[in-house]
Amino acid sequence: MALSTYTTTTGFLLPSIHSAPPFFTQQPHPASLSIATEQWIQIILKYARHRRLFTVRVEDSEVSGNDWDEILRNERINRKLIPSYLSYILAQMVSQKLAVYEPPKQDRSILIYWRLPEEWAEVLYEWVRLLEALWFNSIIHSQVSSTGNLNTIMTFYEITDPPVESPLSGLPIPLLRQAITLLSKSNRAQIIAISEGEGVRFFPTTGKA
Amino acid sequence: MALQKFSKSVDGTIPIQPLLYNDEELSASQDGVGIYDGLQKSPLHQSGTVHVTSQRLFYIDVLKKASRSFYLELSHVSQTDYYAGLFTSSPKVTLHLSSDNFVPEESTQTGFESWECEVCAYRNPPGLSPSAARICGLCGVPRSLPGKTSSSSVEIPQSNATSSLPSSASTSVLPKHPREPSLITCPACTFLNHPSMRACEICATPLPKAAGDPHIAKSIPATRPATPGFDDNDPDSKTIKLSFRRGGDKAFYAALKRSLKGRAWEVAPSNVANDGVRSGISGIMQAVETSAQNRDINMSNALEDLEALMAKAKDMVQLAAELNERLTASSTTTANNPYSSSLSLLSSTSTEPEEATFIRSSLSQLGLQMENTPVTLDMMKDEREWMEQLARELANVLQGSAKANLPSSAGGGMMKERGIIALDEVWGGWNRARGVALIPPSTFLQVVPLLPAFTNPTITSRSLNSGLAVLHTPPYSRAAFAARVCGLLALAGPKSTTEIAQEEGMTISLTAEMLNIVEEDGDVCRDDGRCVIQENSKDVLVLGEVNWWANLFLGYTWDGQQ
Repeated sequence: MALSTYTTTTGFLLPSIHSAPPFFTQQPHPASLSIATEQWIQIILKYARHRRLFTVRVEDSEVSGNDWDEILRNERINRKLIPSYLSYILAQMVSQKLAVYEPPKQDRSILIYWRLPEEWAEVLYEWVRLLEALWFNSIIHSQVSSTGNLNTIMTFYEITDPPVESPLSGLPIPLLRQAITLLSKSNRAQIIAISEGEGVRFFPTTGKA
Repeated sequence: MALQKFSKSVDGTIPIQPLLYNDEELSASQDGVGIYDGLQKSPLHQSGTVHVTSQRLFYIDVLKKASRSFYLELSHVSQTDYYAGLFTSSPKVTLHLSSDNFVPEESTQTGFESWECEVCAYRNPPGLSPSAARICGLCGVPRSLPGKTSSSSVEIPQSNATSSLPSSASTSVLPKHPREPSLITCPACTFLNHPSMRACEICATPLPKAAGDPHIAKSIPATRPATPGFDDNDPDSKTIKLSFRRGGDKAFYAALKRSLKGRAWEVAPSNVANDGVRSGISGIMQAVETSAQNRDINMSNALEDLEALMAKAKDMVQLAAELNERLTASSTTTANNPYSSSLSLLSSTSTEPEEATFIRSSLSQLGLQMENTPVTLDMMKDEREWMEQLARELANVLQGSAKANLPSSAGGGMMKERGIIALDEVWGGWNRARGVALIPPSTFLQVVPLLPAFTNPTITSRSLNSGLAVLHTPPYSRAAFAARVCGLLALAGPKSTTEIAQEEGMTISLTAEMLNIVEEDGDVCRDDGRCVIQENSKDVLVLGEVNWWANLFLGYTWDGQQ
């Protein structure tokens, strides 16, 4: 009966409840169900952040050999989430605005907001400013502050797949687009068309300028 | 002559019953009868048996049954006279025949085969009387005529060949003038040929076909000497006399009069006969309705026996009660004074238990073994008391009687071993225990709420989620059962439904129902077998089964990665 936490091979610390077989069953009792679902959402969000995963599909629990093996299945107690319960959990995440269905208009796979789009927007903007500062500092010595007036233009590809690992590496385009949209609402960025497709122009913060 | 005209020959070697139509009934029979054709004795029909039926008069000759027997449609009889007899003259019955309502031959002959109605496609059975066979038995639509005429035209050669058939029969239906055969003029020699000729009698030139309908062709025999000479106006030629040489005339005449009055040949055959309108949908509906009514009547007749048996049940109950009382009384007296018994009494006591056992076993075989005889409504003064008595009786059935001194009631009640029992099982068991005067479910349901007052420990009823109603003792109430299950799970770890069922001594389905209720209260949580990755022998779970755990979600706090 004594349940204990468990550290997976990827270094993720699973909660003790993950070792309880009833955790994998969709409980008919409403209170139990809401608690269990809440724990599941926590596990999924934390694991997604841990592994930098952005999508979960309903069928991920059925077949082994994908990123979610350690979470949606527990070989030690011989249990797995059945698709109907996982689908219920995903729906709960979407309704709590912790995820969206991606692609839209279906309910088989979701885009996980382990950072909310607002948080992503801030991360993006900070990263661009940091980049500008580094670039600037390396060329012209310290004359211009890191709040420089230069307008930076970057392609989506440059953001999601930079040569140096960044917090934004592998960010899905839909999520990036949402973050930029949020930035453009505060006049800090603007989506523009460039030769290689879509790009974004970043503006200096009006408050700081 | 009248005899030849109206009678039809019949094979008298056949017994009379098979000769009758399905809707025909035999009214009376008399032997030693001779027939007068008109005023003359008919020499061939002087000794025979006559039968009168609802539709016909049969004469079966004693000597030559096959050739001389005949029958006569009563529909031709317009009037009858009775002559009581004088000295050597036998009593006689005179039948005045008329051809007014003469029925064409052909329909009679087709009456003995089954045919399908053109309107409703109902296959009419064979063997009905001619009048009945003319209309469809279901929808009442007359049988289509084309079939008739075609069959009559086919019969032409036959009517010539069979001498026994009165050849003039069909002529009488025809109007007077076309009875003169339309002769066929030979196109070569102008000889007027008989219409039946195919080639000219003189020059053998093929003749054109006779003009006109087949009835004219049918009337050929009428040109033969016998029939044209027949005088319609001669009253003697239209009478037949039955001479009763061996008496029985009065009874026979009465039967004949009855048959004539009944006019069965005019009445349609089937059950809708009297309802006038018989055609169309309403006719069909009526036919169906009437047959349903008949079925009802038959059914209620059949069930009368059963009701009579039910009425006897009360007597049986009384008898059983008396027997029981007597047996108990005698056994107690012998038990009370064992010393005062004389030798004869001793011998009787030694035999009595055997008799008693025998009688009691017989009673139990009859389903009357109950210690207290079944309570029936008529024993009770009012409804309330009746219900209470029933509740008391049911309590006995469930928990065993307080005394439990009879071997037949050994083993206690139905709930002696079990704390919970489905309502239907109780009902069945109770009625089996009663044996007679069974309790209907409605009464049973009225009695159940009264049970707690008469039972110890209290038995109450309870409805589970699926609608299954059960009777249970206090340990199986909602709270008590939940507490027990939780204790078991806490003590022994997770258990499957089957294991809990074994533990509680209940059926698996009932256990599952109970556990679902416990789960509703949030005391347990489930581990569904469908979530198993791979079925293996080590796992307690079989695919599809449910394991029960104490609820480990309530009060859980996150202890994983931050």
